[in-house]
Order: sequence, then C-alpha cells, then structure tokens
Amino acid sequence: MISDLRAAGAPADIAGDVCVVGTGPAGLTLAIELAGKGRRVVLLEAGGEGYEADTQELCKGAVKSGGHIDIADSRLRQFGGTSGHWTGLCAPLDPVDFEPRSGSPHHGWPIRRADLDPFYLRAQSYLDLGPSRYGWTDLVSVGAPLPLDPARVETVIHQQSPPTRYAEKFLETARAAAKIDCWLHANLVDLTLADGSDRVENVTVATLDGVRTRVTAKAFVIACGAIENARILLNARSQRPAGIGNEHGVVGRYFTDHMTILTSLVLLNEGVDAKIYCEPFSVDGANLELALRLHPDVIKREGLNNNHAFLNARYDDALYSDDFRNYGWTSFAAMLKAFSHGRAPDRLAERYCDVMDDVGGVTTGVYRHVMRRFRPPDQPRAFAFRQDAEQAPNPDSRVTLAEEKDRLGLNRATLDWRIAADDFLKLRRTHELIGAAIGAAGLGRIRLEIPEKPEPGLAYSGYHHMGTTRMHADPTKGVVDADCRVHSVKNLYMAGSSVFTTGGASHPTLTIVALAIRLADHLAATA
Amino acid sequence: MALTRRLLLGSAGVAALGAAIYGGSRAACSFVPRNHPDFFSLLDIVPDDAAARRLGRLAIEAGLAPDGLSALGEKLAEGPLVRAAIAEPCPTTRAELLRDGCAADFAQNRFVTLDGWVLSETEATLCAAKLLAGAA
Repeated sequence: MISDLRAAGAPADIAGDVCVVGTGPAGLTLAIELAGKGRRVVLLEAGGEGYEADTQELCKGAVKSGGHIDIADSRLRQFGGTSGHWTGLCAPLDPVDFEPRSGSPHHGWPIRRADLDPFYLRAQSYLDLGPSRYGWTDLVSVGAPLPLDPARVETVIHQQSPPTRYAEKFLETARAAAKIDCWLHANLVDLTLADGSDRVENVTVATLDGVRTRVTAKAFVIACGAIENARILLNARSQRPAGIGNEHGVVGRYFTDHMTILTSLVLLNEGVDAKIYCEPFSVDGANLELALRLHPDVIKREGLNNNHAFLNARYDDALYSDDFRNYGWTSFAAMLKAFSHGRAPDRLAERYCDVMDDVGGVTTGVYRHVMRRFRPPDQPRAFAFRQDAEQAPNPDSRVTLAEEKDRLGLNRATLDWRIAADDFLKLRRTHELIGAAIGAAGLGRIRLEIPEKPEPGLAYSGYHHMGTTRMHADPTKGVVDADCRVHSVKNLYMAGSSVFTTGGASHPTLTIVALAIRLADHLAATA
Repeated sequence: MALTRRLLLGSAGVAALGAAIYGGSRAACSFVPRNHPDFFSLLDIVPDDAAARRLGRLAIEAGLAPDGLSALGEKLAEGPLVRAAIAEPCPTTRAELLRDGCAADFAQNRFVTLDGWVLSETEATLCAAKLLAGAA
C-alpha cells in the first residue's frame, strides 16, 4: 500500500515491525524481502513517485574536493531512489576486497565474500541480470580471450542490467503488498532513543509543508545513500551530542568513491583480436562485459588497490568517437527511450533544454549512430583503460555537517572527497603490471598516462558514494557491525553502500542489493 | 657497338673476376677481427626516429642503460634469446628471436618505464644503443 503523508488525514502515529527509510535498491529490496517473510514494514520515502525539485533540493550541500564530484544531482530523492538513473553495470566485489591488505591499514571487512555469495545469487533477479555468469570460463566459445599469464592478469566478467529502474519495476508491487505500508513525502527528521536505553523508540518524519508523524517499530533501517545516511545520524543530536552512532567520531568518515578515469594507451600488435573486450555479448540471457584485473596475489604482494580495467577502443575514424556524449546526448537518449515506450520522460523541460544547449553534439551523435550501421569499424589496435578504480579508505575523506540548514531544519552536508596521490600511483602501477603481462604475452605495449606527480583533478566521481557508516568489528573504526547494526544502538541498522568498508572495483548496486537481502534475513529472524 | 665474341668473353671474364674478388674478400674478411659491437645487427630493427632516440636518451639519463656501446652490447648479450638474435643472419628469424627475448624480459619482470612506455630492458637498451650508434 502506498500513501502520501501530504494527504489530508495522515495519521499522527504509524507502527510496524520494521521501519525502512528510503526506497532505493537497498530500502525497497529490504521491504519486499521482509514483507515476503510476513513482517509488517513501514517504508518511508522522502520524495514522491517521480522527480520533484523542492524535495531534491534537500540533498544539496557543499563540496570540498580536488576531484570532480557532486553531492546532490547524482542522487534521486524519489520512489526508487538513484536506481532512476544508474547505468546498470554489475559485478560482485572480489574476494580480495574483503581481506586485509598489507600497507593499507583500513582495508578488510568483518565478513568475507563467501558470506555474501548466496545473497549475490538472490540479488540477480532484482536487477534483471539473468543467471549469474561472473564465473563463466568458456570465453573461447564467443571469441579470443587475450592469452595473458593468469598468475598475473585475469579476465573479469561484469553483467549488465537493463538497467532496472526500481520505481518502474516495483511501484505496483509496493502498492499491492499488504505488508508494506509505504509513505511518500515522509522525510526523516529525527530519531528518538527510549529514555536511558540504547534502542530507537521511534523516528519522526515530516513533509515540507509541516505535517509531522511518528513511526514506531521493533527495528529501524536507514537506507538513504551514503551522504544522507551520515547526515541523518549526525543531525540526530538531541540525545547524543555528537549524533547517534557517532560516539567515536566515525560517522561520515572514510567516504570513498570510485575514481572514474579513462587513461593509458594500449597498443596491440597487428592480428591480436581483443574484440570480446570491446563489445558486450550475451550468454544464456546474461549480458556480459569483460575487463582485466590483476591476480589477487599480485594486488596483495604489491599493496595495491583493486581495479577492473575495461578496454575502450580508440579509432582513427571520428565516426567511432563518442566525444559527443554529454548532458545533451544523455537527455536526448532518455527522451527517446521514454517516447518509444509511449510515455513522457520525467524532467522533460530540463532534458529538452539540455538537448537545446548541445544541438551540435546531439546531431553529431545521431549522425554517427546511423552511419555506424553502414560502415563497420576496422579491428581496433589502440585502446584506453576505462575504469572505476578503488581508493584506499581514508578517514579524512568525509561527510560533515555544514552550518546552513535545509527547509526541514536539518544541517546540510559538506562533502570533502579526498583523493590521495598514492591512489593514482597505485593505479599507475596496476597499469604498468598489466602492461608487463601484455608484453610478456607478446601482444603489444602500453603507455602510462597517469603522471608520476598526479593531480586530484584527474579523477571523476563514479557517483558511487560509499563508506560513511562503514562496517567494522571495531567500533572505533566503523559505525556498523557485520550485521549492519549500528554498534551503539540495539535496533538501528544502516543499509546501502554507506556500510561498505572498502569500495572494491565493482559498481556498488549489486552488493547493495545483496547486503539488503542478507539484512532482511537477519531482521526476519530477530525483529 | 656490335656484339662480338671478344666482347662477350671479356664481360664474362670481368664478371668472374668480380665474383672471385668479392668471394675471396668475404672469405678473407671472416678472419679479420671487428672493432664494433656485433649487436649492431639488431639496431636495424629499432626505428630510426626521434621517439626511439628520446627513449634511448631517457634510458641513459635514468641509469637504466649503460652509457657506452660496448657496455650496452654486453648487457644485451646477457639474455640467451637476444644472444641468439645477434648471431642469427636471417633478418626475419632475428626479429622473432628479439621479440621473444623482449617477452621473456617482461615475464622475468625485467621492464622499465620510459616516458610512460612500459618497455622491456632489451628494448630500452636497444634504443640507447641506437642513439649512441647514431652519434658515433
């Protein structure tokens, strides 16, 4: 059932077994799983069914960073959350991501990859990924895998989601579910602990026009994205002066993102076929994309961060250049897709103006897409590495509260995304080692393009905000325990990529969904 | 000029004499010691361009390659495949042996990074040799 807190007659109190705040891939997955297990879920969404500028404005905050990052527009504060504009690439985190790493004191989760494996399998269907084929080895049946020494460099498989929009896929599910009591325009503004206790008694939600409601439950889960999750805890200061869960000053710290960089030149010898690394292909209904990664023993031995390097073909023919891709093209593609499905796109005026601002780019894109059908490309020999590279966890990279308050009276967030020179140099070394493996196989050569004295501006955010309520066995080094429960509060849980201890080299959504399913199993057994 | 018997015999004689001089010279020269590095045969494979010379200069400046032709020759001859390439008269086989030698360098972590290029030590050494040989 879906209701609107702004409607007349909204109740002053709402009750359920579990209160889930946020309807993105974490919150909605959790609610559906819990409802399926017979638990009464109160599901709270700050926005409406679609994009609303006044609600979205609540995400705004300040950014301090040498890199290129956004705090507000990359999130969607609406039903379905940021799944409304994610790109859909998925892969589980690698086993090495969960392990401690020499020379990097903050690496290491309190769980292992094997703990997540069954939940990764269950997450596949939420994201319409088809069967799990991440471990598929029969690459020769679709092309020629590069004959690299597997003790040095491995081929890693990612799967592509359509991408699934949670609002499109699950809106009717939520509406029809008797066990889900979903409230729109319900912004979480406070958490109240029972007197003298370490349990949340209720949370207060409010609409922008001043309606306030109290929600009680046995357990509470906050699933609002890594920046909002931290902001909510840091703002909850009425009973805990530093904010709930922040007794050790860890909330908001260890913010990490993927460093999105297209760099380094790979030149393959004539006759070396790397086609299967350049184009997605389908196996058993799963859409796969291939990348290169260092063997985990090499990563551990060298003390590197993880990275999956995709090969981006560089063509001499401008027809195959994608330099027209900009906001204009993205908006044009979104409009085209929506109209082809017989509906109007959301944020139509904004998208239309994006296209108008970049008519030249969009025209070029249309022309090239049409012409590519008539003029197939030559076999590429030059490539760049495209990656969302891991950063080492850094406690100084953090979300804090700004002085400025939003319309609901909560302090806005300030994001200080730190990118250490060492993060770039480790990526440079990763490329160097992949280049050496390419040389050892007699396939070609690589030219490194990350300078020895890198500037933070080289990196763009992957828009994968992570780590601000990280999972750690030690309460002085993490906010939640291995069950995603806030260390200092018995019935408060965090969901989403804010609990990631490290970022790994995979896009986070699959792991977010897997962790949500795992948390649902845990809560169903305990709440 | 009319083609006469005398002219034909004379021409054949000159040709035979030339062949004898060339053959005899090659045979005699095989006993004469050379005073230039024998890896010169490999330098034909290195592109004769500014990029190769820049890489060679960087290799020497960074101390990754010795600054002298004979030392460079000794370094190149350390690898068995490159040694075989030096001795190989067939240009195609020589190039293949050199490629294999470079791959072996990478496999044994004998690589350097010059101007961003990740190169085998053999390649870097050859670029340095090309530079020095050109300047000699």
